[in-house]
Amino acid sequence: MKNSFDEKILEEANDWVTANQKVVLATVIQTWGSSPRQVGSRMIVNEKGDFSGSVSGGCVESAVVRECIGLIKDNKPCKKIEFKVSNESAWEVGLACGGEIAVYLEQVN
Amino acid sequence: MKLQTLKSIIEKKKNKSEFAIITNLKTGESEIFEKDKPLSKEMEVYSNQINEFFKSKKNGVIENSEIFVETYILPIKVIIVGAVHIAQYLVDFAKSLNFEISIIDPRGYFASEQRFPNMKIINKWPDEAFKEIDTNENSALIALTHDPKIDDPALQHALNKKFYYIGALGSKKTHENRCQRLKEAGFSDKQIDSIHGPIGIKLGGRSAPEIALSIIAQLVSETYKK
Repeated sequence: MKNSFDEKILEEANDWVTANQKVVLATVIQTWGSSPRQVGSRMIVNEKGDFSGSVSGGCVESAVVRECIGLIKDNKPCKKIEFKVSNESAWEVGLACGGEIAVYLEQVN
Repeated sequence: MKLQTLKSIIEKKKNKSEFAIITNLKTGESEIFEKDKPLSKEMEVYSNQINEFFKSKKNGVIENSEIFVETYILPIKVIIVGAVHIAQYLVDFAKSLNFEISIIDPRGYFASEQRFPNMKIINKWPDEAFKEIDTNENSALIALTHDPKIDDPALQHALNKKFYYIGALGSKKTHENRCQRLKEAGFSDKQIDSIHGPIGIKLGGRSAPEIALSIIAQLVSETYKK
């Protein structure tokens, strides 16, 4: 079996939409090197920055939340973002594990 | 993703069907792919690659394209024989994993709804109960009664149907006796050796939730070996 166990994130997304929240799905679509979550892993974010699920081991979630809020504010349907290995600068967002991931953001509308 | 697409994905998951979501990363448009159903004109050119992802149950971006394929597989059927204390914790663990649990127990006091709210409990002997569950080599059996009258027929069914995981609770001695009975019933050493007995990985714990954890850990591990 190659697929991951189902995490019921889409069901939660539907609950959030039903509760009149704006929801962005963030999905890992590509990985290189040792990334913590596999392709298809997902998190959801609302306009307030509440989030559920994960796309990494906590390394890039904050940045993903910011990007998702931006997507809702700018009313854009979708966006692809890539995260690479973090370098020396302490607060730069990156993957401490040494992997690279591409995350796809899409609004539920 | 359109809310309508999201809702139909959830519906398909509930109905236990296998499908894939195909997303055009440029436009954000997505559609649902099902075996033997036609794709939209736009996606038709990728049908070979999409089928390849679907067959191998993989997720990913089709090479040299902006098309993302995400496949959904059926939950694994796990049949628990014995609506005992450990089973109550197994049900809890299964909720956060992709397992679809059925419980068989012919003993009325055990198989009560009060003990297992919202669960499918079949209050029948295994031979009868298995007529109600469609099982195959993607199914798993957890036998927990350590009563030969109840466990043995279930183990025989699971061996005949080539379940990918078969575990049976009981001490080493109990398991030796069980193996002997199965041998006398005509099962080969190879078949009998495929039974995990005593069940579970070695955690050292003895409480019901600890044993449930050791069983579910073994089940997950065997699932990824498939």
